[in-house]
Amino acid sequence: MIKITNESFDLEAEFKYVSSDTNGAYSFFIGTVRSDLSSSNKKIKGIYLECYEELALTQLKKIRSKALSIWKLNECLIIHRIGKLDLGEKIVLVITASSHRANAIEACEFVIDSLKIDVAFWKFHLLDNDEKETVLQKNLDNEKMLKWKDIIN
Amino acid sequence: MNITLKYFSWIRVKLKKSHDLIEFNQTISFKELKNNLISKDAIYQEIFEDKSVKFFLNLKEIDDDNQTLNNGDILAFLPPVTGG
Repeated sequence: MIKITNESFDLEAEFKYVSSDTNGAYSFFIGTVRSDLSSSNKKIKGIYLECYEELALTQLKKIRSKALSIWKLNECLIIHRIGKLDLGEKIVLVITASSHRANAIEACEFVIDSLKIDVAFWKFHLLDNDEKETVLQKNLDNEKMLKWKDIIN
Repeated sequence: MNITLKYFSWIRVKLKKSHDLIEFNQTISFKELKNNLISKDAIYQEIFEDKSVKFFLNLKEIDDDNQTLNNGDILAFLPPVTGG
């Protein structure tokens, strides 16, 4: 299941969706809005998430499909929020379900690493006076993806 | 023919608009479109010179400047993504 939404999500409800007695392991990743400083050293009060939804859905489907086949998952759920989010709010949820824990954990990490560099979402820091600051991609996120190169090709 | 341009992130902010509908009398290549846009507004020069910006035509990344654009096509301008 893949969802891009303006609404928050309920962890228990999403767990029920992927839950099955064929699974022996689940791995969860939840990304949240953290208190941070902008590039101009101002305290941020939240974020705004922009998305090219048609493309993001296509890209997420590809990532999910790879995760399902490479790690032989029984289910992979990805939810990503868009719009204005306050500090502490949930941004993204990935749940992977498989027979054994190693596959679930590794696949979950692959999905979030891929999402961070390959899916059409853009963050803005929200500052005082309704000012928005573009968040730039981190080199670290690209470097992390190298880890998966041999596995996914 | 009509082509829709979609702008995201800093490109949308810089251009102060999220999309454009542009009209041409005949089929053109991506390269010709780039030159046309640069001649209208110098901001496009900066966008096209930025190697980190990707261009997607109807949800597929453009890898050839000579690719032809057709009526009804949607061309998206995408800076490096920052979701998650």
